[in-house]
Amino acid sequence: MIKALGTYDFPSRSRQELYGDDILVHVLRGSSMFFCSAAAFRAPKAMKWSDFVGGMVMPFVTSDPDFDASKPLTWKLVDDDFDPDPDKSLEENGIRHKNTVTLIGA
Amino acid sequence: MTTNPTKPAAKKLSMQQRYSALTRDIDWTPSYVSEEEMYPHTSYEGIKIHDWSKWDDPFRLTVDAYYRYQAEKDKRLYAVLDGFAQGQGHLTLSDPAYLNAMKIFIGGVTPLEYQANRHFAYLSRHFNGPGPRFAALCQSVDEIRHAQTEIHTLSNYNKYYSGMHNFAKMHDRVWYLSVPKSYFDDALSAGPFEFLIAIGFSFEYLLTNLLFVPFMSGASFNGDLPTMTFGFSAQSDESRHMTLGLEAIKFLLEQDEANVPIVQEWVDKWFWRGYRVTAIIAMMLDYMLPRPVMSWKESFELYFEQQMLGGLFPDLAYYGIRPPAGVEQAIWEKDHLSHLVYNTFYQFSHAANITTSVPTQDHQQWLAAAYPDSFDAVYRPKWDKLEKMDAAGNRFFYPGLPQLCQVCQIPMVFPEHGQGDKICERHSDFNGEHFNFCSDHCKWIFDREPEKYVQAWMPVHQIYQGACGGPTIPDVLAWYGYAEGDSGEMVGNVDHVNWKKWHAQVDDSLAGREQMEASLAADGVGVKEAAK
Repeated sequence: MIKALGTYDFPSRSRQELYGDDILVHVLRGSSMFFCSAAAFRAPKAMKWSDFVGGMVMPFVTSDPDFDASKPLTWKLVDDDFDPDPDKSLEENGIRHKNTVTLIGA
Repeated sequence: MTTNPTKPAAKKLSMQQRYSALTRDIDWTPSYVSEEEMYPHTSYEGIKIHDWSKWDDPFRLTVDAYYRYQAEKDKRLYAVLDGFAQGQGHLTLSDPAYLNAMKIFIGGVTPLEYQANRHFAYLSRHFNGPGPRFAALCQSVDEIRHAQTEIHTLSNYNKYYSGMHNFAKMHDRVWYLSVPKSYFDDALSAGPFEFLIAIGFSFEYLLTNLLFVPFMSGASFNGDLPTMTFGFSAQSDESRHMTLGLEAIKFLLEQDEANVPIVQEWVDKWFWRGYRVTAIIAMMLDYMLPRPVMSWKESFELYFEQQMLGGLFPDLAYYGIRPPAGVEQAIWEKDHLSHLVYNTFYQFSHAANITTSVPTQDHQQWLAAAYPDSFDAVYRPKWDKLEKMDAAGNRFFYPGLPQLCQVCQIPMVFPEHGQGDKICERHSDFNGEHFNFCSDHCKWIFDREPEKYVQAWMPVHQIYQGACGGPTIPDVLAWYGYAEGDSGEMVGNVDHVNWKKWHAQVDDSLAGREQMEASLAADGVGVKEAAK
């Protein structure tokens, strides 16, 4: 607990409601450090996982000329193995605001 | 005020008497209000002070001596600045790329001097004891002088080179400058004792040589006489600040045993906060000086491992203080830090107010010699790949925005301990919200005071909220106040082109003479006339 002179209660400056129907999602490449860090995306909660991968993740990772898009993609969500349903939304797949999904393999 | 001419002149006080009159003798015990009411900020942090008079100021400065001494130093500095400007001194720098280090300095460090001025002024009101109040007052005046002299020192370069014209706005807005800014904001928004440990001890004592010596020796090696002179001019102040920092921690530890665990937590926190800020110095030392001085690794070993771990902490152990948590990670990271950070700036150079390039082969040789355990194995192949992409017309810029650490605000680029090929990711949930961190130590800092860090102004999150000028990168860069030449690839940049043009003028004396004649003719003066 913070030590303060008075009541200390302030809202988060990155809270989800500030993004409307969207959330921030981080994408980390687990098997290469070519990209200096994971990327942050703003995406609708209702976006289908397959659209997220096709429209956001792929344009990002394929900017690395050594990325092999023919290999199967496997994922982690925060600390756990993750087997997303491509037709379900980010939210339905259990992805929360500012979570990190890690792309393993490829 | 009138004087009485019949009264014999008062006997002059000795220096020590004057110091005592200035500090102890103008202190009083309040009678209309309680001491608590007069100094309301010195009890809530839990620090117990029993005897403020035990604060020992080893310098015993008086106001008149202080100003006389500072005025002398200013006179010398401004003489150098004038001479350098009049003699086109900027053309004698090793290379215009050197000024990237100074762009970081004026955007990242100078505004902190000003913040330090403000906060030491606050301390000079709010400490109960007259000794620390006066010491804080002197430091406050030093800090404003440093801010001003740094701005004056670098303003000459601003006439010729990009990236410095808007430093105060950039400090408030630019993504990577949020790292030093949020570091200092964290200290300013802490209590007065924590600030003293954060800035007085950790910044000014523990890390000061790592922070300032690289800039000043870099200046000296690369022909930047003004910055070097500024450095000398600030040095005697800095040694006073170091002494104040050390006095502060010893005073707190000696006053009450209950202070020890509180101070230990602050030492742990502020070592790590400060160390993360020095990541940018590591990059500057290893990659941004055309004539390198020493590597980050060497610098860390000398100024931190030998001087602090070997010299200071055995003394502090007597008080029950151990070296900061996080030291082992910092020691392990010294082989990686600068390479990771410069790579980050290389990838985000389109959005920084500095320019970057793949290091030359000569420079890579120097890096390989300085980093035998990591450069050839891990980092040279990376640069080879980026160089190949550049040669093929595909200079790599990161296509998006990075994940940031909620505490240090640096893009999360740091590796797991002992695993140079794996990015470290940590997280915590607070009030149902997910937060990310670059390391165990940033996570620990967050978990200790999550209420504070949830308010962080995170550049990437703000851009995505639309709070930074608009949704596209050009919108954001315009909001940062960037102008042509402030960012991007170094080769072919405005500064690079101008530098070549100016040197061609200087080197080609005939052309120089023709130009001089033309210029004189334009003023209606013949060459022979001018020679008189």
